[in-house]
Amino acid sequence: MSEPLLVLDNVTKNYGAIQALRGISFSIGRGEVVALLGDNGAGKSTLVKIIAGGLEPTSGRMLFEGKEFLAKSPAEAKAAGIETVYQDLSLCTNVDVVANFFMGREITRKVLGVPVLDERAMEAVVGRALANAGTRIPSLRTKVEHLSGGQRQAIELNRFVHWGGKLVLLDEPFAALGVEQTRRGLDMIRQVASQGIGVVIITHIMQQAFQVADRIVVIRQGVVAGDVARNKTSPDAVINMITGETLAGAGPAG
Amino acid sequence: MNPRTRHSLELVLDNLVWFMLVFVLAVFSLFIPNFFQLGIFANIVEASSVLGVMSIGLALVIIAGHMDLSVESVAALSAMAVGIMFCSSGIGLGVQLHPDWLMVPVSLAIALAAGAAIGVINGLLIVRLKMSAFIITLASYIWVRGLVLVISGGRSAQDLAPAIRWFGIQRLAGLPLTAWIAIGCFVVFSLILAKTPFGRHLVMIGGNETATFRAGIRVNRNLIVAFVLAGAIAGLAGWLLAIRTSGATANLGVGLLFNAFAAVVIGGVSLKGGVGTLPGVYAGVLLLSAINTAINLMGLPANFTQVIHGLLVLAAVLLDAFKQTIRQKLA
Repeated sequence: MSEPLLVLDNVTKNYGAIQALRGISFSIGRGEVVALLGDNGAGKSTLVKIIAGGLEPTSGRMLFEGKEFLAKSPAEAKAAGIETVYQDLSLCTNVDVVANFFMGREITRKVLGVPVLDERAMEAVVGRALANAGTRIPSLRTKVEHLSGGQRQAIELNRFVHWGGKLVLLDEPFAALGVEQTRRGLDMIRQVASQGIGVVIITHIMQQAFQVADRIVVIRQGVVAGDVARNKTSPDAVINMITGETLAGAGPAG
Repeated sequence: MNPRTRHSLELVLDNLVWFMLVFVLAVFSLFIPNFFQLGIFANIVEASSVLGVMSIGLALVIIAGHMDLSVESVAALSAMAVGIMFCSSGIGLGVQLHPDWLMVPVSLAIALAAGAAIGVINGLLIVRLKMSAFIITLASYIWVRGLVLVISGGRSAQDLAPAIRWFGIQRLAGLPLTAWIAIGCFVVFSLILAKTPFGRHLVMIGGNETATFRAGIRVNRNLIVAFVLAGAIAGLAGWLLAIRTSGATANLGVGLLFNAFAAVVIGGVSLKGGVGTLPGVYAGVLLLSAINTAINLMGLPANFTQVIHGLLVLAAVLLDAFKQTIRQKLA
């Protein structure tokens, strides 16, 4: 890893007098899976939103591929190659699977100079993507509101696998998945990382973090409380970092 | 339930308003003397052109998850602007252009521009100030009507230039050109909503605005465009209204808003946003128009119309809830 993919340098975020992030610094390499752990309210989701362009940091800077980076909107982050799967699902339940898969990136063809949705081409792509991932959905033309929670999450996961980009942020991606689907989801993450894409996964489940991550970053009260390679730590040590009993391998601020 | 029955049931649910329209027309044809004739049907289509065009714009913003209460006043403003420019009596200035046909594009441009201008104001206020569309457009509904009163001084313009009136008189296949304009608008905007990325984005914004924003869709821009379209389409409705009445009065079109809402809801558009199609809205417009025509034919006092429209909206909302439960059972 010559140069890290994304570097966070002392990123802070204040909501009025409340400091949600008090100076976060860590980096993510290409093809690396970083598990972001922390108690409720530690600032994990805030951090993800800052990287993904939903929130602006109060101070600090980010380097993406070695260049100064600040996404003012999710569209900008996407253009730079950052895909995000949010905790609360980002699907439009009033349209079908295909429309959700291609949200904002529809395939069109010109008819008399007017862009017209190419439904057949889109359906073929979605069919292939879902088949590759082993996700079974009865009809791609079903509105998402008729699908189960697990099927919905599978659509989102397949969506990020398909579009890839350079960095993927996953905020509690397996909350609604069963055991088998979760296993497949974790496989997907490894597969994505093996293509050289950086992955940040937020999770509450220690086991998942140890299954999939190369590195574990713990956030506590808005600062990095630990940044360790997975094979150099244990679940117990990480739990201690989360609860603040030890500051083993602590980050810059304490 | 096998997929075949399920599929056909969904087809019926999706196009319920068309079945209702056919049913109502059949019942009227059977029980009201003189109803079943081509002239009556042509009349139903003709009488619905202004309301139909206005409903398109309203439906677009409602499907995108917002609403526009100002369409009625905007139509009146456009009609009054056209009336003042091109009417020869009353407060009309009687502007003459040569050749005569030049008045058509000029008057149309004035009507559309006036409507689009109000649409820009609505859209910008709603998107930039993040205020409720209900409040912003309610304000527009009031001040734009006030503007109509101000520029007309409460008086009316009569005798619209014949070159423009021509659209209301000239017939093609039994229907005046104004009706064809309404039908054309429905075809064009139905295609835009169903087949283009812009239309797809509007539907998705109505379904889950946060998700579309996160997906990188330019939500604000799309919404402003929707409001501008609603305004411009209302302007077109005003232009048609001026032709139909051969001028404009200060209280022109009062009450149209509620009929437009009724048509949109009956047509299967959900006020929650994200649900509905424009062909359905057209069926809703025709349904209202058919009922009006039936009331006229039966010689009932016109006062009944409003009662029936109100009950119809109520029925449409109940039907919508009923459809939801059936769909949930289907899923």
